[in-house]
Amino acid sequence: MKKANRTGSRFLIGLMFLFLYLPIILLIVFSFNAGDSSAVWRGFSLNWYRELFQNRLIMESLYMTLLVSLLATVISTAAGTFAAIGLYSLSRRKRDAILMVNDIPMMNADIVTGVSLCLFFVAFFQGWGGFARWFNGVQSAVELPTRLTLGFGTLLLAHVAFNIPYVILNVSPRLRQMDKNLVDAAQDLGCTWMQAFWKVILPEIKPGIVSGALIAFTMSVDDFVISYFTAGSATSTLAMTIYGMTKRRITPEINAVSTLLFLTVLVLLVVVNVREAQLEHREASREPRKPTLMERIAGRTNTPGWRWAKRGAGAAAICCFVAVVVFLTGATSSQPVVNVCSWGEYIDEDLIGQFEEATGIRVNYQTVESNETLYSLLKSGGADYDVVVPSDYMIAKLIEEDMLEELDYSNIPNYALIDERFKGLSFDPGERYTVPYTWGTLGIIYNRNMVDGEITSWSALYDDRYAGNVLLINNSRDAMGAALMYLGYSVNTTDPDEIRAAFQVIEDANRRGVFQGRVMDEVFQKMEGGNAAIATYYAGDYLSMVENQADGVDLAFVIPEEGSNWFVDAMCVLKDAPHKEAAEAWINFIASTEANLANMDYIWYASPNKEALEQYPAYYEETYGEELDQETYEIMAAPPEVLDRCEVYENLPQETLSLYSDLWVELGVG
Amino acid sequence: MKSKRALFAVPYVGWLALFVVAPIVMVVIYAFSTAGGGFTLENFARMGTYATVFTRSFWLALLATLICLLIGYPVAYFISREGPRFQRVAMMLVMLPMWMNFLLRTYSWMSILENTGLLNRLFQSIGLIGLVNRIFGTSYDYFPMINTQGAVVLGMVYNYLPFMILPIYSVIEKMDGSLLEAARDLGANGAGVFRKVILPLSLPGVLSGVTMVFVPAVSTFAISRLLGGGTQMMLGDLIEQQFLGGAYNPHLGAAISLVMMVIVVVCMTVMNHFGEGEEQAVML
Amino acid sequence: MSKKLIRLADCCMAFDGELVLDHINLYINDSEFLTLLGPSGCGKTTTLRIIGGFITPTSGEVLFDDVRMNDIPPNLRKVNTVFQRYALFPHLNVFENVAFGLRIPKTVEEGGRKRKVRVPEAEIRQRVLEMLEVVSLKGFDQRRISELSGGQQQRVAIARALVNRPKVLLLDEPLGALDLRLRKDMQSELKRIQQQLGITFIYVTHDQEEALAMSDTVVVMDQGRIQQIGTPEDIYNEPKNAFVADFIGESNILDGIMHEDFVVEFFNRKFKCLDKGFAPMEPVDVVIRPEDIDIVPAEKGALRGTVTSVTFKGVHYDTIVDFKGFKWLIQTTDYHSEGETIGIVLNPDDIHIMRKSQYSGMFGDYSSYSEEYDDLEDVSLLEEEEGGDEE
Repeated sequence: MKKANRTGSRFLIGLMFLFLYLPIILLIVFSFNAGDSSAVWRGFSLNWYRELFQNRLIMESLYMTLLVSLLATVISTAAGTFAAIGLYSLSRRKRDAILMVNDIPMMNADIVTGVSLCLFFVAFFQGWGGFARWFNGVQSAVELPTRLTLGFGTLLLAHVAFNIPYVILNVSPRLRQMDKNLVDAAQDLGCTWMQAFWKVILPEIKPGIVSGALIAFTMSVDDFVISYFTAGSATSTLAMTIYGMTKRRITPEINAVSTLLFLTVLVLLVVVNVREAQLEHREASREPRKPTLMERIAGRTNTPGWRWAKRGAGAAAICCFVAVVVFLTGATSSQPVVNVCSWGEYIDEDLIGQFEEATGIRVNYQTVESNETLYSLLKSGGADYDVVVPSDYMIAKLIEEDMLEELDYSNIPNYALIDERFKGLSFDPGERYTVPYTWGTLGIIYNRNMVDGEITSWSALYDDRYAGNVLLINNSRDAMGAALMYLGYSVNTTDPDEIRAAFQVIEDANRRGVFQGRVMDEVFQKMEGGNAAIATYYAGDYLSMVENQADGVDLAFVIPEEGSNWFVDAMCVLKDAPHKEAAEAWINFIASTEANLANMDYIWYASPNKEALEQYPAYYEETYGEELDQETYEIMAAPPEVLDRCEVYENLPQETLSLYSDLWVELGVG
Repeated sequence: MKSKRALFAVPYVGWLALFVVAPIVMVVIYAFSTAGGGFTLENFARMGTYATVFTRSFWLALLATLICLLIGYPVAYFISREGPRFQRVAMMLVMLPMWMNFLLRTYSWMSILENTGLLNRLFQSIGLIGLVNRIFGTSYDYFPMINTQGAVVLGMVYNYLPFMILPIYSVIEKMDGSLLEAARDLGANGAGVFRKVILPLSLPGVLSGVTMVFVPAVSTFAISRLLGGGTQMMLGDLIEQQFLGGAYNPHLGAAISLVMMVIVVVCMTVMNHFGEGEEQAVML
Repeated sequence: MSKKLIRLADCCMAFDGELVLDHINLYINDSEFLTLLGPSGCGKTTTLRIIGGFITPTSGEVLFDDVRMNDIPPNLRKVNTVFQRYALFPHLNVFENVAFGLRIPKTVEEGGRKRKVRVPEAEIRQRVLEMLEVVSLKGFDQRRISELSGGQQQRVAIARALVNRPKVLLLDEPLGALDLRLRKDMQSELKRIQQQLGITFIYVTHDQEEALAMSDTVVVMDQGRIQQIGTPEDIYNEPKNAFVADFIGESNILDGIMHEDFVVEFFNRKFKCLDKGFAPMEPVDVVIRPEDIDIVPAEKGALRGTVTSVTFKGVHYDTIVDFKGFKWLIQTTDYHSEGETIGIVLNPDDIHIMRKSQYSGMFGDYSSYSEEYDDLEDVSLLEEEEGGDEE
């Protein structure tokens, strides 16, 4: 009876662990995949581990994660311990009141903590800016920085803020259990309070401190939400990098780095557990306890000479730690730097290295998801970018709101290489703010094996035949744009009736269950794996999907007969950018023919550089030893007759934008 | 002597005021103001539009919490009945997944639940899908699992299950063995001991487990996007959109955060009221 | 007598405005075993902590060898303490616990220059082992604290304090947590150690038997005031007021009137006594120890009463006798059954006269006599410990 019971319960425990570990095992297995899919096994390889160390984005965010977690752990452990000791000498009523406030970050939803800290920092920065300007005005001895932004400092503060409660939570019970006379006893035996602290309190509460520090470290490494709201744009932890990637495609290097992290912790835990088990076993068998190696060393080194050596070693270790931190943060700050913000997978990363080598300017390359997100970031004061690469309509909006700096084109001689077709477009008619980066078209991507015949019209997006297999683009402008074109209206219409009619099309389809989901960059993974039949996305991205498509998936791209949107993404410099010259150097470098060729080859988006656009087929042949398929080239760089069918998005008036966003919310909520 | 030590608490009180109280005050200020800075209640008036998001979030979080409890309680209980070695290893294994980023683990579920994912391929190969089609007369090529509410709940259960097991386990494990013997001595059978002694005594653990699952679940934002495919918008997504997403409006975001916070606090207070007289909820 | 080592001059102590010590004046001689005795909350531990330096008196002076010590922290006082429940360091073994004080470097001033002096390792070893031998713990030096019994822990605590060669050892209810048998053993052990080392012990207890058995001088305290200072014999035989009389041993306390020297009246009868120096017809408290009373047949007694209860106590019987509504406790070796009418005889040297005090009328009537009295005392003591540390 009892025996059978246990088997049953173990079976349940086993099932639970299978549930917990299945995804993890899958992840680890696929980090050894020769191919880059996280669904299709292409043989064993250590490739991704090699690649990992080359991948700057991942390595930097890994380093950032470890640095922030380590610093936050050290600071919050020290601060939390002292705070706990202080709290325990207060009267119970005061202590309980403080502990209640202390518990708030633990009980509050992460997102609320993150949001509240974000608001607080931004408000503080605004206040600070005013103060600094006033202060700089009344005296000239000290120049205070007037512009503070979210970044490493705020990230660290946020981590410390949410870690301290955990430290206090772990240290407090130890303090409570501690015989209150111990400190008196130590002082009675000749210790000053400080000595008593080191010799008695600390060893007594050490287990609490250690477990508090461990939990703090774990929380820090694992945290995403709070970091996401407080790190701003220029700093990125591993979790944030992963979040950025989950939208597009998790590169297997991330699986590799996570596997390494996971296995390290696993090994550590196993070692600790085995040692504990041994200790327990020895105690259970009542063997006389031999002094451990550490104790023997401690005993032998308890002479004045050794004591100084130990102190020296301790001081040296602390100095080393500080030096490493200072060096690592200093190395990144003393160099001239340019902060660039672009879209995910939107640059050949070799170019960054080349630019840095040529100019000695460090590039801090960040990505955001969409034009709207970029706008939010800029508005919230969370961004510290110099160069951004928004799309046409967003550029117009930014110019309108006076958020861009005029460029000094004499610093950008390569501007001359840009095709006249892409100069002086509606968003920047005076050619004062922008240098085009890429251009392309929006179209329908579909899986030939999942649809009947060829698709030629937007109507396919709303077709019941494909119910549950259509991916709606999660961006009001593009989704509505497609519906407007389907109805034969202009994508830039401001007529509310037309817009409502277009929305009705989408909503009806949504109600009929045509859409499987609303996606942005998740579209890659879904389409490549054959998990959806039809999606709206950009031509360049289609080409990179084709490269990665799974067996049994046959992707095609079409610009529907009703016409479509074509877009230009252009580089601009933000108002008051701290590194304007470096920014212009970067823009000039990217505008060069070589850079454009490399980018075009890497991201499959068409180049606005005339030479590059013309030379690309030759470049392709030279690089890959085969001719570039004409059809592919035309998808990449739509020929003029196709472009004629397409419209550029213009910045819409505020009331139209509000209508868009209200309707979009309605769709999301419904 | 002691008063000197109390001075240690002063900087921390300052810290709390600055980094815990002040930020929450900021949320309140934002929630009641317009972009221009004036006082307004409009942010709350607009909340009606999002009623569905609120109900959906709370409903799904409640569901996830319930499932976590249904799985977590027996597992915690069974683990606590094992030998000390088994217990230690098991608890380590419960905590360990935290060291793999939750986004990655959730993403991994995506590839399991996809239409052509691991599970569907498994079902296909064992002929389950064909069987179902024959029995119910349906024509599935696969079972649609991804981008459903079920997938979102699964993601939440998966991510937050350890937070349910941990506090329950630590309460049951600390339970005095002689209490159980006393209960048996007084004539309770196995089920009786469980119902009359173990269950009430483990209530504080359950309460803190429920809190630790429900609060993050109701505010989650990445899980619903990854596994819900953007169709299952939840409070977290809504708030994120107001701050860092397309619909930039921090005032509305702050108002939603505030309302969510208040509802959660009220829920927790009511719930903890049930456990009144019990010990303070145990964390970790 | 020997020289005065420590003096408390007019010390007051208040916590949150509540007076805990009320003008304490006390001196402690060199090589003396002095006990602070009193019920829980009487201020004895507070007095000890003032001497130890853990708290500073609100007013008044603490003098060591006539030097003011009020603001000297405990680590700089030549005083060591054995704490209630020992306060041994759980993370150190026996040896390291005892060596703790020796390992702290002492700052010495030499020719105007401050220098840190450490006890050499070899000396530490020698002194620790020696001291462990003194407290009969030879061979226990590598044990962990958690592996020791209560009595052994007690000895470690004493060794830890004594190894620093203090001039004064403070002991705060050191035997409170031990069982009766062990307590008796440790009492003689402590007395032996004190005599062997020849240093001053200041001992805090609420157990009057312990106090009487060990001390050279007993200080009886109540409500933050010293009630009486004296040798154990003095305190027992000549209690100054009803409180002391009741607290030290058992006493029957009656209202009386001092007619003239050597004559006192109670129960409307005059008795001869050995006390003098009172005003004529002054109301007084009369103390009669239960063991001093002789029971005689009713007709021969000076007073007559009825036995209401008898309890066998081993050596003697506790007999409660009702004399006109006032119940006396009488301890005799003879058995008298309940309901029996008996008489008593009082000799002049059995009658102790005390001046009236605030305690008059509060003690000495056995109408609510209960055997559980002592146990209750212990409970309230524990509560005081918990509460006292909250501050």
